[in-house]
Amino acid sequence: MKLTRRAALASAAAVSTFSILHRANAADTLKIGVCSPLTGPAAEVGAIQLNSLKLSTAEVNAAGGILGRQVELVIEDDATTNPGIVLAFSRLAANTDIAAFIGSIRSTQVNAMAPDVEKVGKPVMFGGTDPTLTHNGYKWLFRCRPNDSFSARVIADFGVNTLQLKKWALVCSSDAFGTGGQNALIAALDKLGLKPTLVQPYANQQADFTPVVLAVKQSGAEVIASYFTFEPDLAVFARQVRQLGVRVPWIGSPSIVSPVTRNLAKNALFGTYGIADFTPDANDESKKFTAAYGKVHNNALPDSGWTYDAMKILARAFNDAKTTDPVKVREAIIAIKGMKGTEGTYNYDANGDGLRGYNIVKNVDGNIVYDRHIEFDS
Amino acid sequence: MFLQLLFTGFGIGAIYALVALGFVLLIRAASVVNFGQGEFAMLGAYALVIAVNMFHLPYWVGIVLSIVVMAGFGVAFAGATYWPLRNRGGLPVIISTIGASIFLENMVLVLYGPNSEQIDGLFDNPGFDIGPVFVDSQYLSIIVVATLLVALQYFIFERTLLGKKLQATSQDKEMASLLGIPVAMMILITFAYSSALGAVAGILVAPILFVSTGMAALIALKAFAANIIGGYGSIPGAILGGLALGVVETMGAGYISVPYKDAFAFLMLLMFLMVRPQGLFGEKISEKA
Repeated sequence: MKLTRRAALASAAAVSTFSILHRANAADTLKIGVCSPLTGPAAEVGAIQLNSLKLSTAEVNAAGGILGRQVELVIEDDATTNPGIVLAFSRLAANTDIAAFIGSIRSTQVNAMAPDVEKVGKPVMFGGTDPTLTHNGYKWLFRCRPNDSFSARVIADFGVNTLQLKKWALVCSSDAFGTGGQNALIAALDKLGLKPTLVQPYANQQADFTPVVLAVKQSGAEVIASYFTFEPDLAVFARQVRQLGVRVPWIGSPSIVSPVTRNLAKNALFGTYGIADFTPDANDESKKFTAAYGKVHNNALPDSGWTYDAMKILARAFNDAKTTDPVKVREAIIAIKGMKGTEGTYNYDANGDGLRGYNIVKNVDGNIVYDRHIEFDS
Repeated sequence: MFLQLLFTGFGIGAIYALVALGFVLLIRAASVVNFGQGEFAMLGAYALVIAVNMFHLPYWVGIVLSIVVMAGFGVAFAGATYWPLRNRGGLPVIISTIGASIFLENMVLVLYGPNSEQIDGLFDNPGFDIGPVFVDSQYLSIIVVATLLVALQYFIFERTLLGKKLQATSQDKEMASLLGIPVAMMILITFAYSSALGAVAGILVAPILFVSTGMAALIALKAFAANIIGGYGSIPGAILGGLALGVVETMGAGYISVPYKDAFAFLMLLMFLMVRPQGLFGEKISEKA
């Protein structure tokens, strides 16, 4: 066959075009939108969570990325406020190249962004623990931490069955997270045949907790159970609990074991119990993650692994679905069973909940010591 | 419980009073509502953190340095926010101070990061019991320092030539100028003193609230409300307004509802605005005229 000049040129053009397109496709990243508290009261823990996410993303990319594409994070500041996260999400959602999102650890913020998430119709991984977030009919929210119905059940189970305490004072933030935790605690205690002696909500970001501590003292409670949203609030409360002579066991939601809280409260938290969705030495995944995090961040300890897990879950779901089609990716997330993560073993249900248990830990002279893991079937 | 709440209320109220005092001084001397007053407290606290936690200077040296640095900063603040706009009425200066407060908060965020800083209190002993009341040494320090500063302020304003000049400047700048008083210098001194007062408030509150960029907003809004309750521009009013606000919100939280703690403070403000808008010690504008 004789190769004409015109055919040769056409072939060369086709090869060049294919080559350019192929290279463009290879360089094309898969974008994940991230709403992160770069500023505001949650900025401290937000920075740790973002570091964890970046570490996970680097590992996913090193392992070949998602669907053969490198993962790129597109980060917007949610300012630790509800309007802030709504604005941040709307900015991200306007970028149609973004295939999925990572939201907030704060339930109140997830609640605020949820209606927009439904309109956008792409998966959003989040860390908020208000149980209602996955039970309000929202299809696109996927939780990467156990919800508060489990945290409350673990707190109640440990306090009643292990510590043998019957008179409970509940101190909870009046925001969505705290109210959700408070209601779940009341329900969990009710199942164990108990009614709390004191239910004491408080508003976030207070300079003084004297009225709360005095209410606990006067209630004659044998144990404090708490859901604090902001670490500085918890630290102020802890100091005043000790100063005003309240000497009862205290079992707190995960913020009580956060490095930020412990750094601020110091010995005021010694001897307290906490439930922790993430504990560095709880399982093999968390040990590996903690070691990798410390290597990159000067031996610092991560305070949670949910953002790290979120990226791994998304990577698995996209690769299982073999497409970026949101509906197929959603189905792939729900199909995840027995996936080992830093926060535990993920078994997603149709609501978007993957985890059902917590670790109990104790603050021993400033060190968080793993005590036990309490898991529920449903 | 009542006595404990009362003590705590006075402690919190004394913080509001200190910051409110800074507001009042500038209102009186320069007819300026300085919305950067809370940032003075925040910057003073950060200056202490840098001196003590970073450079490991003795605590008292850190305090003195912070106050001196903040006094100087007050002059720079005046130069940036007040001086260029001094002849354009009150509103541009107010907006300028709001802008400066946002800038300062974000500048600290960029330079120092979002982390709250923990700093030890003035005394190693956290406090002591008097009967059923736990007397927190930091709250006690705040009450004592606030009382001393009020006394010092009274002495300066009423018993010294400098105080007389400052008062003359605040009452009528033109007349003061005609009498040979260096009005510009008096205003700069007031800014320096106001900034130093804010620093003292920040230093005292730092061990209680921790040091963060958010601490300014927490204090300044209540201090401004205290200023309105006490009487716009009144020194005794700022003190009483601050103390009343602290006690009312603490008692309201203790006896009625904790989540509505802030609401009690602002309800009190609303009641004053409706029933006695001139505040406890303020004059009605018509009477002043």
